[in-house]
Amino acid sequence: MSNNKQTTKKEQYAPETEQLMLEVENTEKVTEKSDLQTESNQKTAQPTNKFTAFFVTVGHGVLKALKTVWRWIKRTFWGASKELVNDDVFAVEKLESPSKMTLKAFFRKKLAVAALVVLIAMFLFVFVGPMFISIDLNATDTTQKNVAPNYSMRSVPRRLKNNIRSISSFGSFTVGVSNDNEMFIWGDAKLRVAQINLKELPEGFDSNKVAFAAAGVDHIIAITTDGKVFGWGSNNSGQYGGEENLGVLPEPKELVEGTIDVSNVSELVCGNQTTAIVMKDGSVYAWGNLNTTRNLSEIAQLTNVEKIVLGNSAAIALLKDGTVNIGSNQQFTLTALEGKKAIDIAASNYALGVVTSDGQVYMSGIFENNEDKVPVLENGDKYVKISAGTKHFAAVTENGVLHCWGSNFYKQTQLDSTTNISDVYAVSLQTYAINDEAQLVKSCGLKGYLMGTDNMGRDMFARIVHGGTMTMTIGAVAVIISTIIAIIVGCVAGYFGGWVDMLLMRISEIFSAIPFLPFAMMLSMVIRSTPLNDNETMRIFIIMCILGVLSWTGLAHMIRGQVLAEREKEFVVAAKAMGVKERRIAFKHILPNVISVILVSLTLDFAGCMLTESSLSYLGFGVQQPQPTWGNMLNGSNNSIVIQNYWWQWLFPSIFLGISTICVNIIGDTLRDIFDPKSNSER
Amino acid sequence: MAKYIVKRIFYILLVMLILSFMIYSIYSLMPGDIAAQTATEEVKNSHGTLKYEDRYAYWQKYYGLDGTLVEQYLRWLGVYPFSDGAYRGLLEGELGKSTYYNKPVSEVIKAPMKNTVLLNIFATILGLGITIPLGIFCAVKKGSKRDIGIQVGTIIGYSLPTFIIAILFLWLFSIELRIFPVSGMITPGKNLEPGTWAYFWDEMYHFCLPLIIMTFCSLGGMTRYVRASMIEALSMDCIRTARAKGVKEKVVIYSHAWRNALIPIVTLVVGWFLGIFSGSIMVENLFAINGIGRVYYQALTNRDNDVILALQMFYIVIGLLGNLLIDILYGFIDPRIRVNK
Repeated sequence: MSNNKQTTKKEQYAPETEQLMLEVENTEKVTEKSDLQTESNQKTAQPTNKFTAFFVTVGHGVLKALKTVWRWIKRTFWGASKELVNDDVFAVEKLESPSKMTLKAFFRKKLAVAALVVLIAMFLFVFVGPMFISIDLNATDTTQKNVAPNYSMRSVPRRLKNNIRSISSFGSFTVGVSNDNEMFIWGDAKLRVAQINLKELPEGFDSNKVAFAAAGVDHIIAITTDGKVFGWGSNNSGQYGGEENLGVLPEPKELVEGTIDVSNVSELVCGNQTTAIVMKDGSVYAWGNLNTTRNLSEIAQLTNVEKIVLGNSAAIALLKDGTVNIGSNQQFTLTALEGKKAIDIAASNYALGVVTSDGQVYMSGIFENNEDKVPVLENGDKYVKISAGTKHFAAVTENGVLHCWGSNFYKQTQLDSTTNISDVYAVSLQTYAINDEAQLVKSCGLKGYLMGTDNMGRDMFARIVHGGTMTMTIGAVAVIISTIIAIIVGCVAGYFGGWVDMLLMRISEIFSAIPFLPFAMMLSMVIRSTPLNDNETMRIFIIMCILGVLSWTGLAHMIRGQVLAEREKEFVVAAKAMGVKERRIAFKHILPNVISVILVSLTLDFAGCMLTESSLSYLGFGVQQPQPTWGNMLNGSNNSIVIQNYWWQWLFPSIFLGISTICVNIIGDTLRDIFDPKSNSER
Repeated sequence: MAKYIVKRIFYILLVMLILSFMIYSIYSLMPGDIAAQTATEEVKNSHGTLKYEDRYAYWQKYYGLDGTLVEQYLRWLGVYPFSDGAYRGLLEGELGKSTYYNKPVSEVIKAPMKNTVLLNIFATILGLGITIPLGIFCAVKKGSKRDIGIQVGTIIGYSLPTFIIAILFLWLFSIELRIFPVSGMITPGKNLEPGTWAYFWDEMYHFCLPLIIMTFCSLGGMTRYVRASMIEALSMDCIRTARAKGVKEKVVIYSHAWRNALIPIVTLVVGWFLGIFSGSIMVENLFAINGIGRVYYQALTNRDNDVILALQMFYIVIGLLGNLLIDILYGFIDPRIRVNK
């Protein structure tokens, strides 16, 4: 009742203030006009300064207009200025609508306002972020797994920049050798579970005397200028050291114990736990993990080799007679190369690119990222060199033009059609373009990960952004579903009473007796076996429904209680006397009076639903991988190895989930305090 | 009072019947037909001497999966005979057979049940022992800096899901400080004999961190409820009268106010105890504790339908018993209910 009184009083009061405002505006306009007139008089008097005077006038005008507009804006949002109220003869006691009072009370609490700001920021981050941060849900990359947050994966050291001999990388770290025989390592070079830092060099190794160096996925091999072969990093699959093991081709004894003729070494390459050294006379030393690269031992037997590339799961050799040898590997078909002379080869994860002497590039293998769309050359230009990262290719032509193709997810192929390039190193997810003075012209590709990567090599930051969208959407929809059910049940039960009330409350009691988590797990299990499971969106929607349908009982009880109290009041009697329909009374007259209860429970339940969704997803019964949510991103983090070594994999999702729910709960609590008349009177 | 209790028990039984039927119908939708499995296996082993259709019909009858859903349900309950005329249901103490462990369900859940109940009772005692004094303290010192600090702490406590708190505590206590073991039930390689004190203490040592986590997770919500109901009780007229009479502050708080605050708290304590049961699913899985939460989780992943059904029913029975307990306790604590009904 008090609400009605307040609003009517305000209505009476409002027209007068409006009139007053109009009057004030009129007077202001008049003064503006007179100002303009005096200035224009001056203008005619001094024609020499006509130009300046004109600008002054325009400036004044614009300023005035801006001031007026500002004043209007101020009035629309903050009401009339204080002077006006003070001068007001009809000044009445200031009255406020309850919603405005609530808002004011809310904004008086600093903690709640801070929580609101953080929550809004989080919402923006989660709902606007996906527009800018793209994600490839199904992409996994074992060479990029468990990379710590860093931005150094493309930062070539300054001393190397103008003096590059080679750049090599197969994963998260890169090794470069300068023409002064100095070796550099950059990127994330820590193997955390094995507690190895690849930047810590082995004993007796001088990084200023390196002739060749190459990086594999978890090891580095370097040949010093005096012919010693060093290896360091992970050694669980015979990456170096010559230990014989099952599924391992050991490093030749003469390399482990003796030295190598450096002047005779043609190249050194590392692959997925494998290494190969090609000598200028055509012989090969190769060793490493035979489980990743099955044809390595066949390649190691060859004697007339020009070049070797080690892909993710295959070794490919270019022989001196211009043929390509892949041993018994079935991955690539080389029939198109018959009768042609190959001059350069490169292999990405699953594709092989061969440059022939007529300047063409032949692609073979599995094309996941348009690796077969080789740019067509114009004006009779010819490809001469080719290089490949894990998902992209780069090739240089006779005229010094760089062409890139393949995956552009990390902008690896951004340097396409750069000119004056003589050599290119496409390594891992980066491309480094080199000119004929061995200087780095440009580089492109992945710089690093803001929040690291998970155990499948997926960018955590992108997954947090997209996972947040999913978590918040599920929370919001679930809470809307539960609130709608609760409002209908609560209003109907409370207003009609009698057997309807009895029935609905018994139903709600049955629902509230269901233990939430086990039951939701079971339902999710049942749904997984039905055809509904095949549709991703459908499954997620069903999870929302499960959460919503299981969590309405508390609010329904509260609404019922409130409605029971409200329906005895006079305005309901009045509405009944006027002949308003029962349904209309229940939902249009009584419901607005219980809106505070609904609002509070809406906020608190939103946090609750987000938590339940994450718990379900965490246990593996909610949203399934690869679709991320904050809950299922933590799914792999429940073992001590991950907790200890890969802190970014659990810390960041926890922080985002924790902060969101804390903020929502703070806001909900504050709202409850404000709406509660008892706590208000006490303060 | 007796009439009231009987009425409630009758009502709870009715709800239990409805719910169990609901669960049973969901159960019947679950994948994995035990009759088909057994029959296929048998036919495969017989090398073509047996016919699948015959065996399938036989096993369907054996497991009581023929007939309508209601018939199956009643058989499971133990009030409707199987096709051989015998009663093998819940009321006869038969919970079915676990296909994964190849054992009767009751055997599968016996030992884990002990662990879970132990864990939950300890967590409840610890939780109540901390939250009630803390809540009363906050209510009495309402608005002070310490109260506000605790309030902020409790918001954080109940906003964070169990698994985040568990991961944080694991990192802090097990990995950084190395006070508690990371997971498991007993120290591997120690070869302690079950039943001895050493074994018991080792088990307790492994229970420590899960207990701390479960207690911590429940602190937030409970403290707030105790505080709220205590504040409400302290603002009652009778308290003002008591103070005006010159009753000692301690007596006012612990005798007059606390008794009034107890009514809403009782509901919560019981509800909370039930919440812990489903909450321990998370903790048991994290720490590889052999409790029913873990058994339930594994049954779900292994599609061990009878175990799922039995444990789901257990959770519901626990829930309903809790409700009954609340009602009865209400009757004892709140005199108004006794008068009304």
